[in-house]
Amino acid sequence: MMLTSILESIATFVPETVLVATFCVTLVSGLIARRKPAVPAALAFVGMLVTLWAVLQQAGTDRTIFSGLLAVDPFAVFFKGIVTVTTLFILLFSYFSTEVQTSVRRLAEYYALITAMALGMFLMAGANNMLMMVLGMELTSLSSYILAGFTKEASDSSEASLKYIIYGALSSGLMLYGISILFGLTGTLGFADLNHAIANAVPNYFALLVATILIIAGFGYKISAVPFHFWTPDVYEGAPVTITAFLSVASKAAGFAMLMRFFKVVFIDTSVLALPAGMWASLYGFEWNKLLAVLSVLTMTLGNLVAVWQNNLKRLLAYSSIAHAGYMLMGIVVLSDKGLAAVLLYFIVYLFMNLGAFYVVMLVADRTGSEDIDSYKGLGYRAPLLGVAMAIFLVSLTGLPPTAGFIGKLYLFAALLDARWIWLAIVGAINSVISLYYYARVFRNMFLRDPEGQATPVSIGRAQTVLLLVLLVPTLLFGLYFSPLVDLANASLVMVGVR
Amino acid sequence: MVTLTSYLILSAAMFIIGATGVLVRRNAIIVFMSIELMLNSVNLTLVAFSAFLGDSTGQALVFFVMTVAAAEAAVGLAIVIALFRRKQTVNLDEINILKW
Amino acid sequence: MTLESILFIVFAAVGLASALLLVTRRNPIISALYLILNFFALAGLYLTLHAQFIAVIQILVYAGAIMVLFVFVIMLLNLRDERSLREGLSWKKVFAAGVSFGLLMEVIYILMTSASGMTELLPAKATEIGTVEAIGSRLFTRFLFPFEVTSVLLTAAIVGAILLAKKKLD
Repeated sequence: MMLTSILESIATFVPETVLVATFCVTLVSGLIARRKPAVPAALAFVGMLVTLWAVLQQAGTDRTIFSGLLAVDPFAVFFKGIVTVTTLFILLFSYFSTEVQTSVRRLAEYYALITAMALGMFLMAGANNMLMMVLGMELTSLSSYILAGFTKEASDSSEASLKYIIYGALSSGLMLYGISILFGLTGTLGFADLNHAIANAVPNYFALLVATILIIAGFGYKISAVPFHFWTPDVYEGAPVTITAFLSVASKAAGFAMLMRFFKVVFIDTSVLALPAGMWASLYGFEWNKLLAVLSVLTMTLGNLVAVWQNNLKRLLAYSSIAHAGYMLMGIVVLSDKGLAAVLLYFIVYLFMNLGAFYVVMLVADRTGSEDIDSYKGLGYRAPLLGVAMAIFLVSLTGLPPTAGFIGKLYLFAALLDARWIWLAIVGAINSVISLYYYARVFRNMFLRDPEGQATPVSIGRAQTVLLLVLLVPTLLFGLYFSPLVDLANASLVMVGVR
Repeated sequence: MVTLTSYLILSAAMFIIGATGVLVRRNAIIVFMSIELMLNSVNLTLVAFSAFLGDSTGQALVFFVMTVAAAEAAVGLAIVIALFRRKQTVNLDEINILKW
Repeated sequence: MTLESILFIVFAAVGLASALLLVTRRNPIISALYLILNFFALAGLYLTLHAQFIAVIQILVYAGAIMVLFVFVIMLLNLRDERSLREGLSWKKVFAAGVSFGLLMEVIYILMTSASGMTELLPAKATEIGTVEAIGSRLFTRFLFPFEVTSVLLTAAIVGAILLAKKKLD
């Protein structure tokens, strides 16, 4: 009985299996090919390509595996796709990054841990049970603690790592405590069973609220929402830029995937029918979405306001990524399919524009040795392609047309207005205006300021240019031609067990 | 008669003592020990609920919490050692050159 | 007073006292010893809940393995005569402690009102689920998959710990 169901589950578990195999092979290859760092890099890259293929094979599947522990549905597949594509980009970045190639202590383990982290994020995307949530999060977090503290010289790196693990362990402790209370109230760990248990027996409202707040602490840490964001700027600044980019996109996407599934599946009230299509209600009017609305406002406001004062570009992008988590939370607050679809759409867009911005920071830092905003003075003339590309990524991050960022924001705000969350939409709009200020500072330095000292031209190789264009073209293209993205986001809303 | 509530209150008290330790203490090693204390009170809550509900799921979950605790402790202490080599300190206030 | 109540009170008192002493001691090695005491008190509490197997594992894994790691690191770093043992008291800490105390009161209030319904511990049933057999069959059937995932988790942790802590690689 059990055996057949496990064997059957393994057939729908190919991407994760490939990842585990890649992890092991990459790790061992580092011991065999000791002096050839390109070998583990190539193995990890091939492994991720196979994973991508396996993920694409899962399109359209809608079931749970391993007795309901893990969901394989369009929603999970979407986020696995986002994680895989990001991982592929990060592996390429790492290959081109002088910082990684010269200062990372052991490259094979570095690549292996990146695949382990991808596995953790896959589990987060599919987690349909609180136990899987914890394990996925811990695997992701542990790998990222290690990756953040990995470099040889920079002592910043291990300080950032220590801060990271202390905050991470604290918030995972809080989350586990919340999970234990929720388990006590309901006697179960699975999302669907939790939903039934809460719907059938009226629980103690305050106990439910406390458990939910404690669990939000764990989510908040992963997506770096405001009271749990303290680690973000330091880790983003201290870690190698490739890892920073990875954390800002993939780790955040996985955190959001887990958060959306948890709240939607556990608290949806399936008995309420008198709602417009695509909206849903929460059990007993339990207003967890108000909690998230407060979190969202705090997150984007603090992220944007503090970003204004930053002079280190990695740190500036860290605060900007905090602010973006705030924007994306808005889409969850509205309790509608439109809102969730907008978040999914935003992630596709965010992947290209944010990775692009970090890629430019990496290329410039490798050549000028500085991430300071002053080192960008005159970049538009010293390296026209880099300057223009950076300008486009920043315009897109601000959310102005004709870039993809505009489409992302447009759908988010449309979902808010649709559900009559006018005040939140206004706060979001004001925040976008603030963000324009600090993005424009970078822009001004690149094009309107003369470089300090001698203006050395910054040149990049052909392969690096191609990679830059691969990120740049979608950022522009999706701003004009976005209907396939919208269709994809709408089709990916299907979660197992929820109508 | 010892009720479930007494176990829960005890574990809540221990959890909060641990959380306060994490927030207040500056010695990184004591901070990690406080985290172990927090995870242990999570285990106490789980075992208590499990016994009173008559369901072994909670006790199975305790295993996973222990694994997580062990992994976190190992990596955390390794980071502390790496940092101590560079800075000769484990005081969180002294190593905080990266500001808020 | 039944024997059960007396045991609970003794273990709970030891657990709370050792927890408080752990977070207030200046010397990490003394904190570590109190943490070990705390682990033993918890193991005792698990026994009063008829969770024999968890109680044994608690001693073996926590007191036997994790704490040895802590004590080993403290010895390795030789923190006994280190200047960083000094820690001042600031308004921030008093504030944090105050907030925690308020939170504790709130949680206690909630727990007092919520956990009605299941006040009866059925010893026969509790003993039955606390055996190696019951937990083992749970772990290796329904939770087999997460059990396997922990192997990746631990591998990553081992690799990372060695990489981070080792002085010279190659």
